[in-house]
Order: sequence, then structure tokens, then C-alpha cells
Amino acid sequence: MTGISKSFFGVKVLDHVDLSVRPGEVHALLGENGAGKSTLMNILAGVYHRDAGQVVFQGKPLENTTVHSSEEAGIAFVHQELNLFNDLRVYENVFLRKEIVRPFGVLAKKEMIRRTRELMRQLGVDINPSDMVSELDTSKKQQLEIAKALFAKAELIILDEPTTSLNSDEIDILFGLVDRLKAQGKSFIFISHKMQEVFRIADRFTVLRNGQLIHTGDIRDVDPTQVARMMVGSQYTDQSVYEARELGEVVLETRRLSGEGFHEVDLSIRRGEIVGFTGLKGAGISELFATIFGVLPIKSGQLLLFGQEMKGNSVRQAMRSRLSMIAANRKENSIIPDFSLLENFYVSEHRLSSKRPLIAVKGELRRYKTHRDALSIRANSAFDMITSLSGGNQQKVILARWLNTQADILLLDNPTQGIDVGSKAEIYGLIQQLALSGKTILVNTLEIPEIMKMADRCVVFYHGRVHSILQRDEIAEERVMIAATNAIKSEVHA
Amino acid sequence: MTPSSALSGRPKQSFTRVLGNYSFVLIFIAILMVYLIINAGATTWSGVMNILRHSTVVGIIAFGMGLAIITGGIDLSVGSMLSLIGGFSVVVFNATNSPLITLVFALLAGLALGSINGLLIGWVKMPPFIVTLANMMIFRSIAQYYLRSVERKSIYNMDGTLSSYDAFYNFGQSKLFDLIPMVGVILVLVTVIMVFLSTSTKSGRTIYAVGSNERAAVLAGISVEWVRTSVYAITGVLSGLAAFLWLAMNGAVDPATLGRSNEMYAIAAVVIGGVSMSGGKGKLLGILFGAMSYNIIDKIIAAMRFDALINDTIKGAILLVAVLIQIMIPVLRGRLRKTRD
Repeated sequence: MTGISKSFFGVKVLDHVDLSVRPGEVHALLGENGAGKSTLMNILAGVYHRDAGQVVFQGKPLENTTVHSSEEAGIAFVHQELNLFNDLRVYENVFLRKEIVRPFGVLAKKEMIRRTRELMRQLGVDINPSDMVSELDTSKKQQLEIAKALFAKAELIILDEPTTSLNSDEIDILFGLVDRLKAQGKSFIFISHKMQEVFRIADRFTVLRNGQLIHTGDIRDVDPTQVARMMVGSQYTDQSVYEARELGEVVLETRRLSGEGFHEVDLSIRRGEIVGFTGLKGAGISELFATIFGVLPIKSGQLLLFGQEMKGNSVRQAMRSRLSMIAANRKENSIIPDFSLLENFYVSEHRLSSKRPLIAVKGELRRYKTHRDALSIRANSAFDMITSLSGGNQQKVILARWLNTQADILLLDNPTQGIDVGSKAEIYGLIQQLALSGKTILVNTLEIPEIMKMADRCVVFYHGRVHSILQRDEIAEERVMIAATNAIKSEVHA
Repeated sequence: MTPSSALSGRPKQSFTRVLGNYSFVLIFIAILMVYLIINAGATTWSGVMNILRHSTVVGIIAFGMGLAIITGGIDLSVGSMLSLIGGFSVVVFNATNSPLITLVFALLAGLALGSINGLLIGWVKMPPFIVTLANMMIFRSIAQYYLRSVERKSIYNMDGTLSSYDAFYNFGQSKLFDLIPMVGVILVLVTVIMVFLSTSTKSGRTIYAVGSNERAAVLAGISVEWVRTSVYAITGVLSGLAAFLWLAMNGAVDPATLGRSNEMYAIAAVVIGGVSMSGGKGKLLGILFGAMSYNIIDKIIAAMRFDALINDTIKGAILLVAVLIQIMIPVLRGRLRKTRD
């Protein structure tokens, strides 16, 4: 791919980017969220059309690529959220739109099952062709996607963050498969944020930043720090926004609290504190937050807010106790798409003030304006639809929604997900300011540098349990990673 | 735009956007014009006012339907509620000789039947389509069964010899200032109340929030269970009111025919009114116009002396055209904007 450019709504997301992948190599495509990796891959796979540039695959230029024509050419895209039909069987997925039929359109099921079994055997993958896809775990589904791609005669397979939901054994299996296929001359583009994996599997790499090509070369010639610096650029300096604060009394306490996905969590968090939570995906932190906020039920143990034990939790009750939560995945869990900015802003506060049933637009606008200025929300009119804003501004509106409820404790579940670098920094700054004004903030994030920038303490989860709690001076990326992956068993100290 | 202009009020809306939001008015005016032209010589004030009068029953239940649709649900039982509540209201009137008690009964019966729908949908979380489909069958069947087995009659007839019968019946025929049918005034009042509730109250907006993104509504502190339950309960109350007005206008209820297909006409009125079937979007004001548009079609067919059986063909076609217009306007708007850039 040479000189690829692409703009969305006048914003350049790719600016003359080149990428070359050789036969039989694993090429790591690196960059932060929003660097343009997915756009580039979507252009390669025919999902988007490029504005400029050329794509040549196996000596043939690809023009007006569609998803179908790129598949025909031999390019397969294994998405993070796998594109399998859960309600079909394994062999039906493999043979989808390529079914073997006998006269009168009768499906040759046995033949398809036999060939699928053969395919799996060749790949050394242990999947039964007749199983329902819904019964396979993520790791098996991924292997099935790769098998399906190879069955469709793919020569180049794009793996988009394939390891996010895999454990280390499953990652070994996946990498084993990739190694075997590499030996057969298949090529891979491997998108990942995890340095260790990149250095383990990749031959060459390309780094993108803000839509531009930063570097491409052999992985042998660099070390992880250099690559990380290329990915983040000048921002790699540890711009800490941290300011030491006087902490107040204990406002949130859990005693052997258990719920869906987490067990026997003991925490004691003080007013004005910023506590970072981290762990691998599925470690149970989101579930802990949801339970504290009354969305999920408490199974056992106690939850105390401001010294009061919460009995029978509900969202309304949590809100009355001056608690708030920004859930992960803004689009699904926070945004009300048919509502304006103003409506998205006031919706939660209305639940607390329903004794005054009428909406006083003027007063609502005044409050909105105060929060808009404090959070520097960039928007034209309060009556614009929320969906017209950028991700970072949408998230600020959601933050304003909760500050407007006068909440004292904020649970932030991956608040910077899908937000550009600039807005991220602003949100860290806001979190720090809020803590200074006496709010207590719990942040769940997968990005350890975020925690280093702002947290007083870091709680590391492993498999639904608190693995360790690190004080500010103990928080270091390596140390947190080791705890999150349980690499070294350590004593829990709180 | 400067920050201060955000406070100065709603932003200026482009003409095409207003057109897109209020296409129901266009459709109404177009159909009304056709009627006035066809009926040229015979048009009278009371003829036009009859549009309002004859839209009342479907119009009022359509507001309930609209609420259900905005939450992302549907209420197929409205027509059968009309039949059951109407029938039993006759029994209540004949027993009490009191229009007021009859009204209270009709509203409470509506609340009860609607709450059955609401509790099953909101708290038990059964699909709205199935719950209200089942109750559509059950309610009408009870109305018919009770009539034949207990009352031993073929029609629920108000007792014309009762002292307050005339007052009740005359109320249904009366006109405000001798100009506007009383039932039509009630329809307009219901419209005003519903529009106010849906746009200017905190609870009203939660109905939209639930239909727009249920998950986000839950996490914003809205009790989705309660919103759903109350929406179907309100739909029941409105059906009760519609049944009472039907009695005032007609004095009798045939449970086999009253309200039959009304759920479909109500859905059509809601859709023509510009409410999105996927929930979360739409103005309740449109429902009034949607209901009236449909009623004029009846009048056009009568004026042209067509067989009434062609009625649904034309209504169906209008529904398709109305939805087509609603889909096309945003597309055209997008095109216009592109060429302007």
C-alpha cells in the first residue's frame, strides 16, 4: 500500500501512509487508538474507499475494492469482535455462501463436515465441525475464523487485537498456529498494543501516529521502549497531572464484598482520593463498579457509603447516596442518541428531582452552561444532538450529567475509551481538579500510564480478586503488569 | 456560533428540517384539500367538524399507542379494550343511571386492563407484541362471552328509559358554542395534555429515553420497569376514555365490531404522525393529524360514492406514501447539503 490517504468529514485520518508486507512474514501494525490503524486495514479489506494512493496485492493493483473482491483476492480480516454466526454450526460457518449442494439444492452436509474436519486437522486445530459456534470459547472462535479465512484461500490475514480476550495458554496456541502458517508462506498483519506479544511474534513492524507513517522496519533492530516512544511521540514524557491532596474520612468501604465476577473484595477509600483500578479484561472491575452502583446484585459481604451500609441495592438508591458511574462503552451504556446535549445532560438529575415534575428549560440551560464552561465542552448549541459531538466531548457531557447530580463519588469505568489523545489529557486534568474539590474518584482503566498520571493508589485485580494494592510511589508499569497477569504470586496487602 | 447564542434559545432550523419534522401537517393538508375539492359544493362547517368528531375514538387510543411505540413497544389490545370497557360501561350505566360513575368505571377499568399489559411487559419482561396480542384476543372474547352467556343479548344497549340517558346521549352530540363537537374538544384537550406531558415533564422525557437507549436509561437512573408499566397503564386509561366517548356518541356497543382493527388504524395514525417504529423519536402532536388524515379518507370515499370496501386499499397506500415521504426528506436534505458544500 503506498500513499494511502483518507478523510472523514474533512478530517484527515490517514495522510500518505505506506505499508508493505512480504510473503511469509508477520507484520505488526502499531499505534495508539485513533492512529489510523483500523482505517488503513478497512481500506485494505474494502470496507472503506481510499481518497488517494495505491494498493498492490501479489503484483496486482486492487481498484475499487469491496469486501467481497478483497476476499476473492486473498485478504482476510479477522475482527476483534469475531464475525461468526453463533447460531450456526462450525462447518456451516466455514461453508457459508460456498455450500456444497447436490441436485435440487440439497446440502451435502456429510461432505462439508468431512472437509471441515480435514481442514481442522491440517491446521492442528481441535474443533468439532458439528459443534454450534455459540458453544465455542473465544479462543476456538478465533481459530475457526482463521481456518475459515484459509479455507477461502486467504494469503494475507489481518488479526485485529487477537489476544485481548485470550489467556496465556490460548495465546500460545494462537501463536503456534500463526508460526505454522507463516512457514507455509502465509502473511499476517498483527494489530496489538501488547509489546511483549509484538516482540514475540512479529518479523517487521510499522508505526502510525495521528494518521501518519512514523517508522517501518525490522523488529530485531528496536527495543520496546523505542517502539513505545514512536507510538506516542512527544507525549511519552510522563506528563503527570498529579497533585498531592489532603484526604478526608473514609467514604466508600467494602467488606468481603462478592458479586457477579468478583469475590471478597476489601476496600477502604477516602474522600478526595483517586484510586486507579486495573487488571486484564474480565478481571471483574467493571462488575465491581456496576455492583457498587446498584446495577448488579450484591451476593455477599457489605458495602458501606459514608459509613452507612447499603441494603438491597438499586441505581436510584446509589444515586441518592451521592454516587455516580460512567459506564464503559459510551455508545451502548451512556449516550441517549435521540436526545440533545441538554437532554443527555439533565436526564440523571431529573431522577433525583422528580418531586418537581416540570422541566424548567432556562434553569437547565444555566446549569448546563456552568458545566460546559467548567469542563470546556466544545459544542455549538445545547439543542444539538449529542451524536453530533466528538467522542471526547460526548464523554464530557456524560461527566457533566453526573456532576450535575451533585454526586460525591464518581465511578469511572474506562472513561477515556475511544477518545483522542488531547481529550484524554483534558479528562485526566478534570479528574484531578474534581479530586481537589473533594470528590472521590475510582477509575478503572486498562492503560497503566493513566493510573501513573493521576492516582493516589492502584488496585490491581486478577481473576475477580484484589491481587495487590500499590501506593503512589510503588506504581510502575512493570510492577502493575506483573500483578495483573499474576506473574509472581504476591501477598495481598491493603 | 458563540457560546452565548447557545443560551439565546433554540437554534434556527432550516426549512427542510422543519418540513421533515412536520410532514404530518403536509399530509393532512393534502388530504383535506382533496376532500374539499371532491366535495366542493357539499362542504359545510359541520361536515368539516365531523372530521374531528369521527377522529376522536381512534385519535385518543392512538396517543396511548404512540407512547407504547416510543418506548419501543406496541399495544395491540387497544381495540379490544375499547370493546370490553365499552360493553361493561353499558352494564354499569344501566345499573347506576349515572354518566359520572360510568366515566369513573371506564377510566378505572382501563387503568386495570392497561396495568395487566404493563406489569407483564415492564416487570415480567414479556415481549409487548405477544402480551398485547394475547390480551387482544382475551378482552374481546370476554366482552362477547359475557354478553351472550350472562346478559343473553346480542348487543350492549344503554337503557333509553333511564332518567339520565338523554343527558348522557346529548352530551355526545353536543357542540361547544354550537360550533365544535364536544367530543372533538375533548380530543384536542387530550392532545394538549399529551403533548405537554411528553415535552415538558421529567417523566415524559424518560419515555423517550427508554425507547432511544434502554441500557443507557437504566444507567442514568431511570426505572425502565416503571416507565413501561405506566405507559401501558396510560394507554388503558385512554382506551377507557375513548370507550366512554363512544358510548356518549352512539349509545350502544357491539362487542364483535367495536374497535376491531382500531389497533391497526392507531398504529397507522402514529406512523403518519411521524413517530419512529423503532422508538425514541417523534412528536405526539403528529398523532392528532395522523388520526384526522385517516378519517378524511373515509369521507372522501363516501363523497365519491365508492364502495366502502376500497377503504383499506387507499388507507394502506397513504400509509406507504407517508412513510416514504418521511424516509425521503432526510435523504433529500443530505443531498441538498452536499451540493451546497
